[in-house]
Amino acid sequence: MNPYILMTLLFGLGLGTTITFASSHWLLAWMGLELNTLAIIPLMAQLHHPRAVEATTKYFLTQAAAAATLLFGSITNAWLTGQWEIQQLSHPLPTTMITLALALKIGLAPLHAWLPEVLQGLDLTTGFILSTWQKLAPFALLLQIQPTNSNLLIFLGLASTLIGGWGGLNQTQLRKILAYSSIAHLGWMILVLQFSPQLTLLTLMTYFLMTASAFLIFKINNSTNINTLATSWAKTPALTTLMPLILLSLGGLPPLTGFMPKWLILQELTKQDLAPTATLAALTALLSLYFYLRLSYAMTLTISSNTLTATTPWRFTSTQTTLPVATTTSLSLWLLPLTPAMMAILTI
Amino acid sequence: MSLLRITRLPSRRLLSSILHHQLLLPSITPLAVPKRAVIQGEYRRPGQPKKDKFPWQNINFSFSKGLEGIKKHFTLLKKEFTDHWVGPEGRPIVEHMLEQNRVVWEFRGPESLEEWTVSSDHEIGGHSEVYLKLGKNDNTCFLYGTLSSTPPRDGETRYSGYCTMRSKQPLASFDRKKHHDWSSFNTLHLRVRGDGRPWMINIVAETYFFHQKDDIYSYFLYTRGGPYWQDVKIPFSKFFLTHRGRIQDDQHPLWLDKVNTIGFTLGDKADGPFQLEIDFIGVCKDYAHTEEFAYEAYKRNPEV
Repeated sequence: MNPYILMTLLFGLGLGTTITFASSHWLLAWMGLELNTLAIIPLMAQLHHPRAVEATTKYFLTQAAAAATLLFGSITNAWLTGQWEIQQLSHPLPTTMITLALALKIGLAPLHAWLPEVLQGLDLTTGFILSTWQKLAPFALLLQIQPTNSNLLIFLGLASTLIGGWGGLNQTQLRKILAYSSIAHLGWMILVLQFSPQLTLLTLMTYFLMTASAFLIFKINNSTNINTLATSWAKTPALTTLMPLILLSLGGLPPLTGFMPKWLILQELTKQDLAPTATLAALTALLSLYFYLRLSYAMTLTISSNTLTATTPWRFTSTQTTLPVATTTSLSLWLLPLTPAMMAILTI
Repeated sequence: MSLLRITRLPSRRLLSSILHHQLLLPSITPLAVPKRAVIQGEYRRPGQPKKDKFPWQNINFSFSKGLEGIKKHFTLLKKEFTDHWVGPEGRPIVEHMLEQNRVVWEFRGPESLEEWTVSSDHEIGGHSEVYLKLGKNDNTCFLYGTLSSTPPRDGETRYSGYCTMRSKQPLASFDRKKHHDWSSFNTLHLRVRGDGRPWMINIVAETYFFHQKDDIYSYFLYTRGGPYWQDVKIPFSKFFLTHRGRIQDDQHPLWLDKVNTIGFTLGDKADGPFQLEIDFIGVCKDYAHTEEFAYEAYKRNPEV
């Protein structure tokens, strides 16, 4: 893509999220979200393949519908309460409407159907931007809303963890696996949103780290399905060794970073007398863990029969940038001992 | 004479014959019920079936068939649910990882022919014929018929003469579309015995927009004729994109994760009988084939 256009679009992406972060008026927040959507559309369709255009169209339609619902909810709130302040969303009807609109924006179940198909149609880099950067602005708004409907958020959370786990069970396409993993993680974030927004932010940040390392490792191996990933032992043995740990971190196993948000969320839910909800969430996390384990089995624990034309590509030095992978991988594996520090930072 | 006799109405038979005369414009046969096509004088395109039944007369309501259908769909749904626990496409992941060749269509019994549809230009009023049957010993499928390039006499068709065989869309429970996932493979492998004619292999992938419904990825199959079988291996990177039979300028590779149907078409303008025998159609992974797409796309208006 023309570098000027690429810079403009990336700048637009950054600007949209920043506008939403900085806004206290619903219209400005909506504008930031729309700017984000519009800036990423050309990035998604740059391949011009019919499937990429299909993914772009599906993304645009769902995001536009969500933004319209958001606008409608905020206008309804302005009508009913007379003000446009984001943090003063008090009437239950607009609050519910806006919560559902933001749930559609990020892909929470039961409004998740677009996410696997859209991610499947994109290349890995754009999928990475979609999974990480595009979640920031809606979450900034979700964190500021005072939830009036506690059951809605718990329903969204539990449905997402369940559907994220169930849907990802049989996927062989890596991008769809990451889509379902995203749905499951978003479910965990929403579960604790009304009790402790700081924990939601913490979960979001750790999810970004883990997903970033997963996407970047898939990009280095240039693999989009399990069978191609299984050849990574010959290309990057070091990454092949680390990937199961990253996947287990995504699955939330101690002593890796991914355990931190899950542990704190379960603790918070128990403190709020929601032990059955916590149990259900923990059980549905097992489904996700199964497909992460299966992925790590296919990648590391088996020498695949898919041979490569060159037998030892790892002998050649790669020209790919490895600093992002190194940073995100280290952070997504070894952050658990820093839990008290993270809690202290977030509760300021 | 009384008024009653002068104003006597014509007899019922006379009246009814006048009524029929107005409705009987093209045909002479007496109609029990007036048909819309006849009254309104619709033109029947060559190849379209005759419309001599009202639409509601085409309904075959059968309670037992309905029950069978319900049973079949719920069985499929339960199977999908249980297969979800086993692995992708109902098989364990180890099988998926180890798979390097897969036979997708194998013609070993009459039920294998149920998955295929044949058609020819008979549908538009042409004179080609095509039939599909099982070959000798129920071991192969035999597509045969006669090609005739006489165009139909409808005043607008200029060319004709094609026959085709196409696989049916795989369906999950409740007639939802299912797709073939061939992403672990990169070559199409067929074993055919033709008669020397050049065929076209058409693969239809899943599309989203209405305008893309006639998007077909095609490639040629040159049969060698004779009594000898030929193994044909065509990499999927060679398939080019066509729309309604015309090759597109903007070419894209075939994405193998959602393939709907495969078909074989004959349209080589040579009138006469033809036959094609297919033993199996499979997909395989050729490790030596590293090409991603065979056709380069040049920028048509490069910036200087």
